[in-house]
Amino acid sequence: MGFEEKVKKNKNTIYVPDIARITRIEYLSPTEKVFKIVFDDEEIKNKFEFKPGQFVELTVFGLGEAPFSIVSNPTNKDFFKLCIRNVGNISSALHRMVEGTKIGIRGPFGNGYFPCQKMKNHNVLLIAGGLGIAPLMSLIRYILHYREDYKEIMVVYGAVNPGSILFKNEIQYWSNRGDISLCLSVDNPDNKWTGEIGVCTKLIPRVDFPSNDTYITVCGPPIMYRYVIDELEKKKFKPENIYLSLERRMECGVGKCNHCHIGDKLVCVDGPVFNLWEIRNLKEAL
Amino acid sequence: MLYKVLDKGVYRDFVKALISEYEFIGPKKKDKSEHDFVLIKDISELDTNYMRTTIPPAKKILFPPNEQLVAYELGENINVRSVVESSKKILFGINAWDINGMNFLDEFFTTDFIDENYISKRKKLIVIGMDSEPTETNFSPSIGAEYAKDGFDIYLTELKNRYFVRIATPKGNEILEKYTKVNDAIAEDFKEYNKYMDNYRMKFKMSVDIKSFYDDFESIYDNGDFWKKIAKDCYSCGSCNLVCPTCFCFNVKDDIELNLKNGKKIREWDSCMIPEYGLVAGGHNFRPDKENRLKKRYRCKLKTFIDKFGKYACVGCGRCIEACLAKINIAEDINLVKKEVSI
Ligand code: SF4
Ligand code: SF4
Ligand code: FES
Repeated sequence: MGFEEKVKKNKNTIYVPDIARITRIEYLSPTEKVFKIVFDDEEIKNKFEFKPGQFVELTVFGLGEAPFSIVSNPTNKDFFKLCIRNVGNISSALHRMVEGTKIGIRGPFGNGYFPCQKMKNHNVLLIAGGLGIAPLMSLIRYILHYREDYKEIMVVYGAVNPGSILFKNEIQYWSNRGDISLCLSVDNPDNKWTGEIGVCTKLIPRVDFPSNDTYITVCGPPIMYRYVIDELEKKKFKPENIYLSLERRMECGVGKCNHCHIGDKLVCVDGPVFNLWEIRNLKEAL
Repeated sequence: MLYKVLDKGVYRDFVKALISEYEFIGPKKKDKSEHDFVLIKDISELDTNYMRTTIPPAKKILFPPNEQLVAYELGENINVRSVVESSKKILFGINAWDINGMNFLDEFFTTDFIDENYISKRKKLIVIGMDSEPTETNFSPSIGAEYAKDGFDIYLTELKNRYFVRIATPKGNEILEKYTKVNDAIAEDFKEYNKYMDNYRMKFKMSVDIKSFYDDFESIYDNGDFWKKIAKDCYSCGSCNLVCPTCFCFNVKDDIELNLKNGKKIREWDSCMIPEYGLVAGGHNFRPDKENRLKKRYRCKLKTFIDKFGKYACVGCGRCIEACLAKINIAEDINLVKKEVSI
């Protein structure tokens, strides 16, 4: 059931959150935690469905609302997870919370998401920088769930230093699986680091996926996109097969407050994931 | 559309009846230069002979500067409910460009997702339009907004000894039948109305050459010097947004009472011209430069909604021109874009 359907059914307005609980908090790094969230209402819980790349608006009651992308596997129906960096008002309040705390959720939002169906029977290259791994987690987990539906899978992930690499356990598990290739790179290595050094864009020239049979997803800080795109274009990947998740300020999530506009589009309803062809038509997207 | 005429002799009684029967919002003189659309209790307060208004009338009712959206109660269980306030009202004396501005908001707030807070108020609003004097900065004829072809229930145009009445809805017709007497308009009436409109259109002094703006804007979009020059004096104060009948940006905030139990979500108008507009948690600002913000404002007003709805999100009322202390002038800038691209 989509958000709009739910609103209509409950005769609510688009600004009313549903009540949910934080049922588990996992520590990822000094600045990031993962929150597992379960709706109070059984029916809402059962009907909540999302696609990789979509986001929700989370209310900390009394404080306000902020958008977060979903990191869990869409096939998990009982709960969903958000990976939250402690940077703002809302997120630092969340970081102080204990398990069991009630919050509000609206969503999922975004008509632009990672096209995991279209990607079937193709190679998939996933490129993440920093916290950009979070929105991609949902997609990676989905792909691994239906692994045999996809061809080669490669994750290129760059972080500032070894300590800031997120989802370490899961990454460890990926490398044990053997059916997903992994390139990790850090800007500032410590003396135990044996992986790549430098920005993750450096790794792209080594990718040998055929350009006509590959989907690419990119998520990272704004500064990273231009370099990544340059490298991808050198390899002649098709712009309509390159998907990027964009961030903007969001207040409403439903195409009304206008804060998230880029060019003539809105990140909350038209995105947050756009393909490179669309982005070329949006001034100031990158 | 039905075309009727209303005798001037019965106009006052008609308005009086509406004032006593309805929550009646109309223009009232505030000071030398401004009128405010407020609740009118007596016809002596009503002054439809206005030029400037404080807040655009339709927006003041339908999308007020701040508005509660949600109420909640915290405790063992959290109770959340939507807050939608609406009541039957008459909006009397709103002019054509402001009706067109409202039409834009109507479409905007019902596209992609339905905004109940807006549209439930709109559904209960009876709109009776009337022409008002344009200011010198008004360029609505260039936009095609000096005339309203829908959005109202009744539109009254003052001719010599009668009003030319355009009735756009059954509701409008009902009201006229119930509270006054109108006659069918005949050829003579149409002739006088036509003449009146020709004269009325002559009152607008400002015009813009907007026909090719859609493409011209893109051609000049990356010319940083051009935009720097245009935005040079901007204070990023946001006044242009506050006075605009079509600006709709807002923030959503939570607010909680001192008992830490009863809370609410409210929305407050925001302004795309202030630096914080593009700021996200973590401190990155996606639009730190004032020239980019101005350029964005022009895009939103003059291009984005051509793609979405086939219309401008600007009705040419000229309010933002009058409000700007830095003398930034959207009409001149539209013409400048044209000129710059043509040479
Ligand atoms: S254009 Fe004028 S009114 Fe608008 S923000 Fe700049 S100075 Fe203020
Ligand atoms: S942008 Fe300026 S001229 Fe256009 S509708 Fe808004 S206030 Fe009026
Ligand atoms: S977040 Fe409000 S319009 Fe996109």
